[in-house]
Amino acid sequence: MTCLTDLEVHAVVDDQASEANREHVMTCAPCQRRVDERRHHMRNLTAAIDLLGEVPAELNDRVQHAIASGRAVRGSTVLRHTTSSSFWPRAGWISAAATAAVVAVVVFVVLPRFGAPTRLSASQVLERSLQTLATGTGVESLDYELTIDGVAGGPFRIKHLIDRSNPNHYRVASYGADGLLRSAISQDPARQQRIQVIQVDGRNYFVKVAGIREPVLSLPQMAQALVESIIRMMQATADPTLTLQDTPHGREYIVETPTVASHGAAATLDLYHARTVISAEDFRIHEFEGSGTLLRQPFSVSFKLLEQTVVGAAEANFSLEPGPDDVAIEGTPGEGPFEELLTAIVREAGRTGGR
Amino acid sequence: MSTLDRPSPANVGVTDPSGEVLQLFREHGGPIYRFCRSALRSTSDADDVVQETFLKLLQHLKAGGDRSNLRSWLFTVAANGCRDRARGRARWLPWSAESDRRIAPAHDERDDVRRAQAALHALGQRDRMLLSLRASGLSYREIAAASGIRETSVGRLLARAVDRWKRNL
Repeated sequence: MTCLTDLEVHAVVDDQASEANREHVMTCAPCQRRVDERRHHMRNLTAAIDLLGEVPAELNDRVQHAIASGRAVRGSTVLRHTTSSSFWPRAGWISAAATAAVVAVVVFVVLPRFGAPTRLSASQVLERSLQTLATGTGVESLDYELTIDGVAGGPFRIKHLIDRSNPNHYRVASYGADGLLRSAISQDPARQQRIQVIQVDGRNYFVKVAGIREPVLSLPQMAQALVESIIRMMQATADPTLTLQDTPHGREYIVETPTVASHGAAATLDLYHARTVISAEDFRIHEFEGSGTLLRQPFSVSFKLLEQTVVGAAEANFSLEPGPDDVAIEGTPGEGPFEELLTAIVREAGRTGGR
Repeated sequence: MSTLDRPSPANVGVTDPSGEVLQLFREHGGPIYRFCRSALRSTSDADDVVQETFLKLLQHLKAGGDRSNLRSWLFTVAANGCRDRARGRARWLPWSAESDRRIAPAHDERDDVRRAQAALHALGQRDRMLLSLRASGLSYREIAAASGIRETSVGRLLARAVDRWKRNL
């Protein structure tokens, strides 16, 4: 019998060889040496993997907590820098950013329009915010920090321009922890135009869609309904707490619901925890964080307002213009920003043969 | 008897399996962790895949899923998670051994084992995954299930992976 091939030698080491090959190794010194050598390598390989050790204490705690709570838990490296991201999560991020951004508008712009209370309970504070849900006029510029669980690269800095007289007229740009532009979206109902920007490998891709239709409910209006629901749930919580604290920035109210575990119910909206920080001076909401499930999907989001100003309509710039090195793609109207972006990119890829 | 070999109880899907999953994590978290660490070059990605794997196990047991070979099931889910992570990273972040400082060698390890580890990390994604699964003690059938390749191809691909790994030593 001729000597074994490398593949057959490997099969002997892995105990997968035929009876004839195993017998051959017993009687052939060269093949026996090759088997021994390969076994030695496999032992080293196993040792190299064993050397990676046991589950670190930090990960151990994280996984145990995740199992106990039934949902993913962020590690202590929440702010870790992640330079890579695939296209699809990033494309999804535009949609997430747009939704989160309009929620922020409701939180920071719409909610805080209630009068100064003398003595209020947490529930009364929340009720006043609900009673005063009304949009104003003018153009508001928001600058805030946004953290969304499960989205790498954060926390994100969001610069947001919103026309309060027309909730469908806005511009949002998001920047990663590294200060680089991640994405942007601009919508102008008067021109029936929506522009989205996505940044990939240092290059900006513009997708411009003309002829868009305004939805029955604008994104801010849908977000407002969501926040109303959250506030109702905060009120319904058995023991929301109201705390008054003095900070270098002035006196603040903190309304917080106690953290509850998931009860596994399939509710449309389930709130595990919510916390708001409200200025006692002008009763604007400065911080908001909440976690729970929406349409059975877990969410955890937090906002921190950095700056809020009203700008003149004349100086408000809602447009997004591509530069000389940017790629501009003409899209077609769809059911929403994400579908339009996806369709435009796929069509462009098809047009260029996927190159 | 290992927890993984425990026969399916009659009340699966009725009781909360969190305690059982915690026990499974204590017993088998180590091998899954080492597999993810060797299959992925990013420690944070490996940590995330370990967590996702056991959360999926929790969902699997809550839904009354099959318990006949949970060890293989865990490696399969972890391997899928590793592939997804690696695929996402490969699109946008070309990796080079020279720039990878994330896995620092321990001070007291033997030179040949350290070389073995470095050689492993210099391999391609599939080779690393196959060798890690084999080193974790999985059979060819289990490796095939976890890696999504034909069982008849496992031996050949493993042998080639070992050859490439030897050349990197």
